[in-house]
Formats: sequence, structure tokens, C-alpha cells
Amino acid sequence: MELIRLANVLKEYDNGAVIALNNINLSIEKGSFVSIIGPSGSGKSTLLNMLGALDSPDSGHVIIDGVDLATQKDLSDFRRHEIGFIFQLHNLLPNLNVQENVEIPLMDAKMSEKDKHRRALLFIEAVGLLDKKKQKPSKLSGGERQRVAIARALVNFPSIILADEPTGALDTKNGQKVLDVLRFVHESIGATLIIVTHDIDVARLADRTIEIRDGQIIGDYYNR
Amino acid sequence: MSIIGIAIGIATIVALGLITAGMEDSVQSTFNEGGAEITVTNATNLGGASALLNSSLIGDLKNVTNVSDAVGQLSARESNQSFMRSGGSNFATTVYGINASKLNLVGISKVNGSIYNEDSFEVIMGSRYADLNNLSVGDNLSFLGHDFKIVGIYETGSMMMDNGVYTSLTKLQNISDTDKVSSILVKTSEGVNDTIVSQNIKDKYGNLSTLTSEERSSMLNEVISILDAASLAISGLAIIVGAIGVVNTMVMTVYERTKEIGVLKSIGWKSRKILKMILGETLVITTLSGIIGSAFGILVAEVGVKLIGTKGFSLVYTPRTFILAFGITFIVGIIGGLYPAYKASKLAPTEALRYE
Repeated sequence: MELIRLANVLKEYDNGAVIALNNINLSIEKGSFVSIIGPSGSGKSTLLNMLGALDSPDSGHVIIDGVDLATQKDLSDFRRHEIGFIFQLHNLLPNLNVQENVEIPLMDAKMSEKDKHRRALLFIEAVGLLDKKKQKPSKLSGGERQRVAIARALVNFPSIILADEPTGALDTKNGQKVLDVLRFVHESIGATLIIVTHDIDVARLADRTIEIRDGQIIGDYYNR
Repeated sequence: MSIIGIAIGIATIVALGLITAGMEDSVQSTFNEGGAEITVTNATNLGGASALLNSSLIGDLKNVTNVSDAVGQLSARESNQSFMRSGGSNFATTVYGINASKLNLVGISKVNGSIYNEDSFEVIMGSRYADLNNLSVGDNLSFLGHDFKIVGIYETGSMMMDNGVYTSLTKLQNISDTDKVSSILVKTSEGVNDTIVSQNIKDKYGNLSTLTSEERSSMLNEVISILDAASLAISGLAIIVGAIGVVNTMVMTVYERTKEIGVLKSIGWKSRKILKMILGETLVITTLSGIIGSAFGILVAEVGVKLIGTKGFSLVYTPRTFILAFGITFIVGIIGGLYPAYKASKLAPTEALRYE
């Protein structure tokens, strides 16, 4: 069942001097695990931002679950309910502790404070950081911070998890831990997982790999 | 750091506010003297002995219609600057002579100690004068070659009056070698128009000049209004300096959080919610800064006044100063905080996330 469809998506920067995405057409099935691979500057992060409604195309359509995002006045609700975004550099808020960071997306959720705490702790436990729930990000290792970012991205049970080079800033051991957590939550909550990476080994973990270069899809591979 | 930056702005407003209020109060108290409604002096205005009035005029003025009392006052100045406390430093000053029973006409009603005897070398002095020169009851003063014993210290609330020294008119006339007076203080009957009485005096005695308490008030108002304009300019400057500090601090604080705002937007926070959060934080920061800045401003002003050594000048604490400081801070703090927050909230999340 199709969850995401991109139709003739064009994105330019510097008044057309840089074409980040050049008429991209793409369809992604619900519940699938997709990796997007390509060299730096190929447009893979721009593509991920389009899917996460963090940026909008200059032309073309991004359709999620049958809804054209261009028709939506305010995309913040969509982002909060449907998208879990994991950044390469975690982007945790430095003044908040682990639990508070994970609870940020629940701020407007119609649930009691107690339930918010319970939900946050559930995901903090899932990423193996329950003993560090009161620690500030500065006290955590790079891998631990990224796992907190994963817990934050998942706490709203999003239908789409977007991860932009989630292991890019980590060593092999911590990178593997993060990937294990991602795969586990993808399988347990059934969310569609899309990872941007330049690491071919990470890309091969996915069911499907899309290769992008100079803003165009140059390859679409099914790994199993 | 934000709190310190804003607190400095508030401290500037508070410190200058306290000082200008103190200046206003000092000038006001300087002019706030009296008891008699009309002061009569020589119209020739030549100064020195030729400006003195014959003592017989005192009796004459008492007979003017609607004058209830009149008293002569002589002022004598130590010419050789040798007016000194025994064993202390020199202080040149003016000593006034007036009949002890008529001190109420110059506004002296309460004396700590006793009032001088008419035939003794005794003086009373204002509390300000005593404080400045570290004098107290029982000490001696030397004036025009005579030792005077300080028998009382008075306080009227007038900066000018409380800086004076009074003794017996007869005694001062004796040592000044004159039987004349410098001015005559006239008390009018209750309910009469002082201006009419003043005009009557001038009509009857063409060589006399008069100054009514109303005219004195008018002069005071003129000085106060000039001072008001000056303090408004100083306060305005303080507000501008303080406000620039507050706005600059808030703008920098929020700009630094542009990336954080991008994170919140990418997680799904609405722009309105982000603005509310910044507003709440701004209120907390400005309140804390207001408290710290006010305390710091008071400290700076108090220490500054002590260091400069303006004896007798004191800061005046009015709610206006603090309301102004807090009000300005809240307004400019909110504007300074919300403007960059609004700009950041309008950015695409990807742009805000790229901000370093």
C-alpha cells in the first residue's frame, strides 16, 4: 500500500544556480524500510526534508497518505503526528534532561502529565537509557545522544520515521547500536523507516535502497 | 549572561532616577523655608553696610495695616575665613542674628537643646551644618573674634535653613558694630492677601523691596521646572541607554536559539506556541533582571554619592523610578525577545536548523 508519493518534485537554491532535486518521482510503501544513498550534495537530505514537511518543493507534489502537503495551511500538526525526524547531530535541547527532551513532542498531546512521563520512559527504556533519564545531553556520549533523539522521534508513534545520517557522527560500535534500535522500533511499531546514508553497509540493511546523484534518482534496488 | 546584560540597563535607569530625584528634592528643600509671609530688604540693592535697614523700620512696619508682627534679622559674614571650631577646621559661613522669641518667623520651631540667651555668646545651628562640620551641643565656635557656645541644634527640613547658624540679634549687632538689620521679616494677619500688604509696604516706603512667600514659591516653581526638564533629559538618556542594552541582550539571546526553534518546529511545535514560550521566558528573565538591576542600581548610586562626597545630598526613592525601570524593561524586553523569535518562527525549519 502506497504511503508516500513524490510527483515531479523540483527544488532549487540560489535562484536556480543549484538544483537540489530535479523532477523526482518516487513511491514508498507503508511499513517499508528504505535507505537513500548518494554522495555529499547529491540531494538526499533535501529529499528527506521534503518527506518530513520541513521544506517545500518549488514545483511538483509531495503526497503523504493521499494528502498533498501543498494543500495544508499549517504543517506543524502533520509533523507532530506523522513524522519522527532523527537528525545527524541529534539536535537535543541542551538545557533539558533526557526525559524532558523526549517529552517535547508530547507537549500538546491530550494526555495527563503522568501518561506523558510513562510514554517517554517507555521509549527511553527501549533505547536503553532509563538509568540516564535525568542527565543533560552534555553528560551523554554521542551514541547515547542519538538514542535519545530516536526516543524523541518515536514518542508520538509516528507513521514515518526519517533519519538523516543517524550513524554519521558515531563510531562503528555506537552506530550499530543505533541501527539496532531503529530496526527494532521499525519492526515493533510498524512505522515506515527512511534512512539517508552515504554508508553502503547501512544502506543494505534496508528492504530497498534508492540511489541519488545530482538531484536525480539513478538507481532503485530491493535488497531482499 | 542575559540577566546580567539586562540588569545593567535597569541599573542605569534606577541609579540615574534616584540621583535626579535626589537633586530635585535638594533644590526643593533649599527653597522650602519660611514662617514670615513677606521679607523686606533695602531696594537700593547696593550690598554691604549701605544695604542695611534702620531698626526703627521694624516698629514702623508693625503699624502697616494687616501686619501682625515684624522682626529684624541681621546677617554677618566672617570675612577673614577664621570661623572655626575650637581645635577643628576652618569653615567660612554666615551667622544670622534674630530675637530668640521670634525664631518661628524664620521657620525654626523645634530646637534640640536650648535656645540662646540674648545676652550670652551662644548660638544654635541647623542639623545639616552640624553634621557637615561634626559639631554638637556643647562645642564652641569662633566668629568675628568671639567664642560662641553651641546650645541647640534645629531641623526645619529646608536645606538652606538647616545650613544656618543663629544667635542673638543684639549680640551680633554689638560684635558687628552696627544697630541696623539686613532684612525685616513680616508676618501678616490671618486671611489677608499678602500681595496687597506687600504693595502697601512698597507704596509707603519707596526705598524698600519686598518678597512674598507666593513670589518665592513662583521662583521655586521656576527652578523646579528647569530641574524637571534637566532630569527628564537625564532619565531619557538613561532609558535609551538601558533600553538599548535590554533589546540588544534579548535579540542576541533569541537569535542564539534560532536552531533550537528550528528543532521545535521540526518536531511539530506551532509558531504561536514557540512565541508563547519565548514570551514566558522573557518575562522571567526581565523580572529577575529587574530585581537584580534595581539592587545594583541602588548600590551604584549609594556608593557613587558617598565616593563623590556630596555631603547632605541624599538619594530619593520614589515608586516612579522603579515603575519606570521595570515598565521600560518589560516593554523593550518583550519587543526585543519577540521580534527575533517571530522571525525565527517564520523561517522554514530547515533554515532555522542550519543557523549557527
